[in-house]
Amino acid sequence: MRTRHFAIAAGLLALAACNFDITNDNQPTLDDLVKNPTRAKLSATATGLFAGARGGIQALIWRLGSMGREGVNLSGNNQPDFIEPYFGPVVAGGSFGGTLWIDRYAHIRTVHIFLQALASNGTASLPATERLTASEVAGARGVANTLKALALLYVVETRDSLGAPVDVDRPVDAPPAPFVRQDSVYAYIIGVLNSAATDLAAGGSSFFFHVPPGLSAFATPATFLKFNRALAAKANVLRATAGCAGNSAACYGAAITALGASFMNSAPATFQDGAYFDFSTGPGDQTNNLSDPLNALTFFALQDNRTDADTQPASGGAKDQRVLDKIAAAQDTQIALLGSIPIPGQLKFVLYFSNGQADAGHPIPIIKNEELILLDAEAQWFAGGAGGKLQAIVDLNNVRQNSGKLAATTVTAASPDSTFVKALMYERRFSLLWEQGTRWIDARRFNRLGDIPLDVPGGFVPPLMPVPKGECDARSLTATEVIPGVVTCRPPLT
Amino acid sequence: MVTRIPLLTLALATLVAVAAVSAQQRQITGRVTSAATNEPIPGVTVSVTGTAFAAVTNSDGSYAIPAPAGTVTLVFRRIAFKRREVQVPAVQTTADATLEPDVFNLEAVVVTGQATGVERRNAAIATSVVTGAEITAAPAPALDRALAGRVPGAYIQQNSGAPGGGTQVQIRGSNTVIGSANPLYVVDGVIISDASLSSGLFSVTGSGNPQSTRNDGEKQDDPVNRLADLNPNDVASVEILRGAAASSIYGSKGVNGVVIITTNRGKAGKPRANIIQRVGFSELQRGPATRVFDTTTAFAQYATPTDTTLSARQQAAAESTLIRSYKVNGVLPTYDHLRELAGNKPTNYETQLDVSGGAGATRYFLSGNVKGDGGIIQNTSAQRQALRANLDQTFSDRFNISFNSAFNRSTAQRGFTNNDNAGASVTYAIAYIPGFVPLMPVNGVYPDPGGLSYFGSNPLQTTAVGKTGETVLRFTGGLTASFQAVQTARHGLRLVGGGGIDFFSQKDEIFAPPELFFEARQTNPGTSTLSNDDSRFANWNGNAIHTYTPASGSWKATTAVGVQWEDRQLSRSRIIASGLLPGQQNINQGSVVTPFEENTHERTIALYGHEEWLGVRERLLVSGSVRAERSSANGDVKKFYFFPAATGSYRFPELLGAGTEVKLRFAYGETGNQPLFGQKFTSLQGGLVIGGNAGIAVPIGGGVAGDANIQPERTREIEAGLDATLASGRATMELTLFQRKTSDLLVPVTPAPSTGFSLHFANAGEIKNEGLEIAAGLTPLQTEHASWVFRTTFTSIRNRVLSLNLPGGATGFRPANAGYGLGFGEFFVQVGQPITQIIGTDDKGNTISLGQANPKFRWSFLNNFTYHRANLSFLWDWQYGGVAQNQTLSLYDCNNLAPDGGTPAGAARYDACINTGDARPFVQSTTFLKLRNASLSLDLPERWASWFGATSARVSVEGVNLITVTNYFGYDPEVSNYGAQAVTRNIDLGPYPPSRQFFFSIQAGF
Repeated sequence: MRTRHFAIAAGLLALAACNFDITNDNQPTLDDLVKNPTRAKLSATATGLFAGARGGIQALIWRLGSMGREGVNLSGNNQPDFIEPYFGPVVAGGSFGGTLWIDRYAHIRTVHIFLQALASNGTASLPATERLTASEVAGARGVANTLKALALLYVVETRDSLGAPVDVDRPVDAPPAPFVRQDSVYAYIIGVLNSAATDLAAGGSSFFFHVPPGLSAFATPATFLKFNRALAAKANVLRATAGCAGNSAACYGAAITALGASFMNSAPATFQDGAYFDFSTGPGDQTNNLSDPLNALTFFALQDNRTDADTQPASGGAKDQRVLDKIAAAQDTQIALLGSIPIPGQLKFVLYFSNGQADAGHPIPIIKNEELILLDAEAQWFAGGAGGKLQAIVDLNNVRQNSGKLAATTVTAASPDSTFVKALMYERRFSLLWEQGTRWIDARRFNRLGDIPLDVPGGFVPPLMPVPKGECDARSLTATEVIPGVVTCRPPLT
Repeated sequence: MVTRIPLLTLALATLVAVAAVSAQQRQITGRVTSAATNEPIPGVTVSVTGTAFAAVTNSDGSYAIPAPAGTVTLVFRRIAFKRREVQVPAVQTTADATLEPDVFNLEAVVVTGQATGVERRNAAIATSVVTGAEITAAPAPALDRALAGRVPGAYIQQNSGAPGGGTQVQIRGSNTVIGSANPLYVVDGVIISDASLSSGLFSVTGSGNPQSTRNDGEKQDDPVNRLADLNPNDVASVEILRGAAASSIYGSKGVNGVVIITTNRGKAGKPRANIIQRVGFSELQRGPATRVFDTTTAFAQYATPTDTTLSARQQAAAESTLIRSYKVNGVLPTYDHLRELAGNKPTNYETQLDVSGGAGATRYFLSGNVKGDGGIIQNTSAQRQALRANLDQTFSDRFNISFNSAFNRSTAQRGFTNNDNAGASVTYAIAYIPGFVPLMPVNGVYPDPGGLSYFGSNPLQTTAVGKTGETVLRFTGGLTASFQAVQTARHGLRLVGGGGIDFFSQKDEIFAPPELFFEARQTNPGTSTLSNDDSRFANWNGNAIHTYTPASGSWKATTAVGVQWEDRQLSRSRIIASGLLPGQQNINQGSVVTPFEENTHERTIALYGHEEWLGVRERLLVSGSVRAERSSANGDVKKFYFFPAATGSYRFPELLGAGTEVKLRFAYGETGNQPLFGQKFTSLQGGLVIGGNAGIAVPIGGGVAGDANIQPERTREIEAGLDATLASGRATMELTLFQRKTSDLLVPVTPAPSTGFSLHFANAGEIKNEGLEIAAGLTPLQTEHASWVFRTTFTSIRNRVLSLNLPGGATGFRPANAGYGLGFGEFFVQVGQPITQIIGTDDKGNTISLGQANPKFRWSFLNNFTYHRANLSFLWDWQYGGVAQNQTLSLYDCNNLAPDGGTPAGAARYDACINTGDARPFVQSTTFLKLRNASLSLDLPERWASWFGATSARVSVEGVNLITVTNYFGYDPEVSNYGAQAVTRNIDLGPYPPSRQFFFSIQAGF
């Protein structure tokens, strides 16, 4: 019996001597980041935030651009890439309809992980030199939440009245976050942006992490706040057309206030100033694959962009300068056939070219001054009273005459709203062409989807994108064609 | 190491504390010989019933054992001989015994713990013991394949026909989905790795994304499972612990069964040498036939314009010109591309030399082995060189040490096969090339089959110019020390400590030079891939075994306690270089370089206790054990998981008359399956560069969420059996029923995408396996000069998914590597269905169940005839039921190149592939009847042997994989494109073709 006791004692000694906390050193882990959130790791995660924010932006541009008939993706054998947006239906489980979702929510998860690690920097056992100051924490939180709001903005722009989950910072095995109404999503976004603004205001004089070149104009907490306010203005304007809890004017008013704190500037030379996503061909970096060479066969611009464009008064009947700058003839034309219905590809987008050549390192705008001026035009028209309408016309003409080299608009303060909206949509379409799906989003929010040409016999313009199948599955919902041309489930909205 | 010192110290303290007690007793001596040969038998365990006294015979078969006064019964036991009891009256002090050979291994001592065993006649669990002689009866590429058809409850199937091995062993059904599917292999107490490590072939075949979370690419490389390094000729016996009660002593590594391998050891006495020389050849066994075209059918298929456009018509005209150019003497020829590719008849050889012997207290076994298997495809083969040294040193009759070591070098050239997306896989590519296209080189130049091929691939060029090479260096060594601390009439206390290491490093090179037609079509032509893997397993254990027999001698209790420690590490790295300079293989010469590194590490420690009681005249055996285990693989690394077991058996001697015995047995046990490394970690993606800085984020396609609370899968099993021996051992039957339920099933959960994760590992399901196992043996004929021994094993296993706890109440999920789309059949794990269910669409687009991978039963028949000096044996193996995804067939059909292409049957399958998406034709029954091996041997007269100085000599001819009777299309119904898989086996996609082997062997003993 004694021997048995010895053996047990020996066994227990053996247990005490072994280390079982074997870590996974193959890649960074959540566990390590939260337990040991050093400055360098937090800084790297902040870089990951900026890198993740741009993920999927090209897919958003060409997908929304396809539904809004700006361009088309005719690449190879990926037929859903043009069948769903041009002919419908857009399908929850489809390789078109089911996208522009998990990439944004993966980014939002990165934001939440960053915020968790940031908070644990104050409590984890770390050397004093690794501790962040209160203002550093506030500034970082402001940046993270601003980027989170941006991600949700992309989500709600595509799903519109289907709503979206916002309370997603929950364990992976918890019940999925409920969908909230479109207006609540906007309200949530604006709330996040406002809290981020408060944090940025308390963010001290500099960030402890690198801010990428595309955001170099916003590389301090004080300047990043201007980017934050620009997004707040955009969110308020979008919310205004989505209802704004029955008081659109309030949202437009909030937009005007936000624009005042943003980087809006009426000088034409500053139109392209703003926040950009960076790309490069360097190792580990993402490339801008929308910068398709003239002889490449993936992305094409539609003829409508030329035919719909106004003519410049000065240079002998040339089209809107923005069309001239952004579109060129393709070197190799492409025709995709669906049955016998051709989708022609003859024009290419060249707005992401540098020095006349495709440039996979060309940045893509997140929000630029030219857009702010047009947001101002919209908000002033609808919420600024008589003076506002005049300001709106000034804004429209500022863009129209300087970017488009066109004659002044015929809209007057006395024009009906519909006339103004049409003029506004024209400027937004060409100023933001192939940058963020503006034409499709605007057509929907101003109830003018019918104005978008079908472009192909039997064509169809989807009104919104479906809830992805995985999201339906996780809620035991089945996707059906509940909206004509949209195969989706409809999670209950709270 | 720190922990071992106190253990040893304690062991020594025990030594001092407990003095050997000497009671009133006498000494019995004697000699044990074989009834068949009259030769002395060393190594026989002699024990006195009703006491703890035991002794072992020495080299001349003699023994000496203390015994109490009065009449005693001596029991003589040794593997391969039948147990013998001898009564010794009080006045007698000598007792000789003769032992009969035990053809059905009825008398083996079966393992019940790390250092305890029980006689098989008492065993309360189903066990299988296969001797070394049975394993080497016919040559096999690896030990596991030699076990096929010999073990009830085990499905042993080859993954392909490639030289060097690649086999999966599934014991008692599919017990997991994403956990480890392989049995635990223990060689002389050392836990060894049976890892299957990718060769990196996917880097040229493009068979999948290697770095995806589901790792689908590299699993299709047809790897060798590393059990192949073990030299089967060194094996003395293999014992397979199938049930949970038996394997629960191995805790959370035991669910797939434990295979305990004992290697040969030296015997004291005159040195013996044994030489085996084998030489033979291989040839293609079966494969798809070639469709015969004439110009009409060829034009119809390849030169018909797809539409009326000019370009389509021009292309068709060009194709018809090309087809005409292939004519020989005015007609389209039909080349047999499969035989051009896999028609080699390479030479195989094997040389085994072992020497054993011993003097005094030292015994040794040394062996060397050189083996080479040629491949039926050019530039494929496998070689193994193995050295083994086993030493036993006895310091006193109470203390001895066993040392074992093996060093191996295994090399293989496995070639380019299996799934492919780039034109590299030769067995894939020939399914695209019609028979009239010439592939053979003309003046050393290989023709480019152009458009009538897959990426321009000419498979003959690929095999001639491409290179694959794998080298494994392996050392396995262990030491076991046994000390009999106490030995009295009532008490025995034995301390056993053991441990060992198993290291190997594997290097793989894959080289597809830029001049290969399919490489030339790549963006960066030419690929060279260099992989280096390093595996390190270490384990040690310490045990104390106490036996107690009361004065009455009516029962015996054995108590064992112990501790076991295990550490497993695997480092893998790989460099893929593409865009190679001409003539350069060095990875430095590539323009695009993709590195990869992965390290995994698990550590486990366990305490266990085992109690066994044998009484009622050695008829009743009851035992109970429990193992408490903690492991770094679990979410909570501090938590101990308990794995209990309880067994009972009762023998009814002479129940059916003299020479018969019936035993009923019952066992309950729990065992487990550890989470795989990494399943508890939520990993983030590093190296995301923006603005020149690298960042960390959740991957943009959704992250993989680990489960911080992940725990081992737990299998609870009830097993009941009936063993019968009739006609004094000439007929035996072992019948076992089992039912096992696995809860906390590790499941890959797809969470709501709004979580930002695309995959989550969780314990979220329950499955059930139940089955019937029968092993029976019969000796219909047993005379002085002739005997016929017949054996059969039968296995039938059914399984079901009982429940799954998935988000949204989903009732099923598509496992990783499930297949290639519902139009071809895919695995789908679904509640209420068999675990290995395959579903697919029918011609109307409805998704239906198409069967399951597990067969209804597997039944083997082994016959062994001896007449004078000649011996004939053959093994038939019958599998009934089960289906495979035959995507080799779908390849041929989608290309309209199946031999019946153009006939209504072929056209219907073509239509199923191209138009209707009907999966039914491509999910085929795997029913087969195989003659796995046959051998005819002749023992030469001793005077012939003595001509060249040998004491014995034998010549034999052997055939392996001789006949396969099946309706399965193409190669072999035993196939797995994804290698060893719990669920997603039986996917056939251009595997290495099966071969048939013939050998001529000479064996000589000195």
